[in-house]
Amino acid sequence: MIKINNLHKSFGDNQVLKGISEQINKGEVVSVIGPSGSGKSTFLRCINLLEQPTAGDILIDDQSITAADACVDKLRQKVGMVFQNFNLFPHKTVKQNITLAPVKLGVMNQQEADEEADKLLTQVGLKNKADAYPSSLSGGQKQRVAIARALAMKPDLMLFDEPTSALDPEMVGDVLDVMKSLAQDGMTMVIVTHEMGFARDVSDRVIFMDGGYIVEQGDPEALFSHPKEARTQEFLSKVLR
Amino acid sequence: MIDAITTSLFTPIGEDGLIGIYLILNGLKVTLIVTFFAMIMGSILGVATTLMKMSSKWYLSWPANLYVSVIRGTPVVVQLVILYFIVLASLDVDKITAAIIAFGLNSGAYISEIIRAGIQAVDKGQMEAARSLGLSHWSTMKEVILPQAIKNILPSLGNEFIVLLKETAVIGFIGGVDLMRAGEIIRSRTFEDSVPLFTCALIYLLLTYIFTFMLSKFETRLKQSD
Repeated sequence: MIKINNLHKSFGDNQVLKGISEQINKGEVVSVIGPSGSGKSTFLRCINLLEQPTAGDILIDDQSITAADACVDKLRQKVGMVFQNFNLFPHKTVKQNITLAPVKLGVMNQQEADEEADKLLTQVGLKNKADAYPSSLSGGQKQRVAIARALAMKPDLMLFDEPTSALDPEMVGDVLDVMKSLAQDGMTMVIVTHEMGFARDVSDRVIFMDGGYIVEQGDPEALFSHPKEARTQEFLSKVLR
Repeated sequence: MIDAITTSLFTPIGEDGLIGIYLILNGLKVTLIVTFFAMIMGSILGVATTLMKMSSKWYLSWPANLYVSVIRGTPVVVQLVILYFIVLASLDVDKITAAIIAFGLNSGAYISEIIRAGIQAVDKGQMEAARSLGLSHWSTMKEVILPQAIKNILPSLGNEFIVLLKETAVIGFIGGVDLMRAGEIIRSRTFEDSVPLFTCALIYLLLTYIFTFMLSKFETRLKQSD
């Protein structure tokens, strides 16, 4: 579904991604782990072109998204993204947050979108919050709304950029549960996370990044229990205690 | 005291035999007219300048930046005098119109900075979130960024209008008779200093006070929608 060839990204002189090649298949759940500054968020943000790659190529369903004539807005409709800081629209209600894009982009009419929003809010356990404003929600609730908002566009792929890093510990579980059921429903997901337990349970594959490279990747059980690379072992020994 | 008030405000002064209060009210009218139309012109120019500045095309952004730099870098009274005596000299433009154009031009530059700051104060995650859903740059602006920016912009815009009102007090430099100039005329004809000057000051204070009051009412209403 996604093919990434030799992806490079620099910010000025700072080389963040130094050649990433990777393939993600339909229905696969891939977790990306690694220390801060390893480039994992940048890698994720390149997939929907929130960062423009410096070099390399990304193909989604065999179509290059980095080509000059690629339609970025069309691509993004099919790639949902969930941010660390939720980024809900504070001037719109929960329901309006969810229906804005599908209606504006002509994917649904307002009535269909409203029905879809109700369905999604039920799915994430927040049906009673439809008319609330984001400022009245807790972090965990905001993030679940953000997931519903991304799902409203019926994406083929969901990107999660440290979705639980800004949450109180007791809120993390609710968000992870929603993501877990999404994974079980067969959604293709790429998750940048520091939740090692979650990565191990839910992922089909785990990628360990450091210094702008993919150091090691594989089956979660194998990677967490028997990491091959010294750098992976060192990282895991620090985060898994 | 009573004498001074009677002399400066209610006794015919000068060869035209007009009383002071008449001059003051006429001056006030000029001040309000210039402020009002400069406000409208400044707002339109401000929006247009912001759009040009945010453009990725250099031939739009460059003139806009130059305009803002020049206006911000020179005193408004210098701009007014240059505009009236040099730029518009060959055209038959009356003083009030010239003042409106000068203050409108001046205000437009400041308003564009206020709008720019208001837009930039919106968290950049908002743009990313809307774009990640597939919305275009302009529909994100319209649906997500501007509705939030307007709350940052309005209070500063109100301040700008208060500043504008007070700055019009230099219209006398091109011979226009605004509120301040009316006070000066009375002063020079009656040799009374305090009454005409304090009358002017009081009227400016009253006007800005009313404006501030209306503004704070408006801001409270905006906050309620949060």
